[in-house]
Amino acid sequence: MSKYDLPKKFDYKDVNTLKQFITETGKIIPARVTGVSASNQRKLTKNIKIARFLALIPYTDMHK
Amino acid sequence: MNKYEAVIILNPNLSTKVDSFLKEFTSLLSDNSFNIIKTEDVGRRQLAYSINNHNKGHYLLFNIEGDPSKLIDIENKIKYNESIIRHLFVSVKEHDGDESYLFAESKSKKKDTDEDSDDQTSQTEEQVVIENTDNDSVEGNEVEDNAEKEQEEEVKDE
Repeated sequence: MSKYDLPKKFDYKDVNTLKQFITETGKIIPARVTGVSASNQRKLTKNIKIARFLALIPYTDMHK
Repeated sequence: MNKYEAVIILNPNLSTKVDSFLKEFTSLLSDNSFNIIKTEDVGRRQLAYSINNHNKGHYLLFNIEGDPSKLIDIENKIKYNESIIRHLFVSVKEHDGDESYLFAESKSKKKDTDEDSDDQTSQTEEQVVIENTDNDSVEGNEVEDNAEKEQEEEVKDE
């Protein structure tokens, strides 16, 4: 846990925090790998998906 | 009264018309009895993927509160506005009082991009120009002041 900077509240605009939890190809890293709590992982996932919609982070590295 | 965060990504080619869009949008909100708590003009930003063949977008963030039923009306009007390439309304429990990360980032970037010609937005260019002219005028004044002092000294010498 300590190797990630987890904020008190997740925010879809906080791109740098969210980028820690996606792979180079843009996938969300599973909680069993990162060790993030289930509750936090749900919030994280939600915010990553919003950030993707707003083109703040990529869905994939295959975008043209 | 529910609280919402609105994110609007404008066509980057219309960056200069942001002010008129802001007026339009705020009047649309107030017509639907929405309160605007905070507006943040993030400016042009690189998109993570291209939307409608645009690689950059002009981000606008709003903290608003109002009636959920009216929000549908607002969204229906926004939907067919061609200058908006993407929009999103997110309901929140509490509004964040601080500056958003995007806005803070754009602010710090504006300072950095003085030397970067590629990423300069039209806005920053304008600001830089203004700053430069200010500096020039200040320097010019100093030079003139110096010249005057020298002249005075010469007069005294005589």
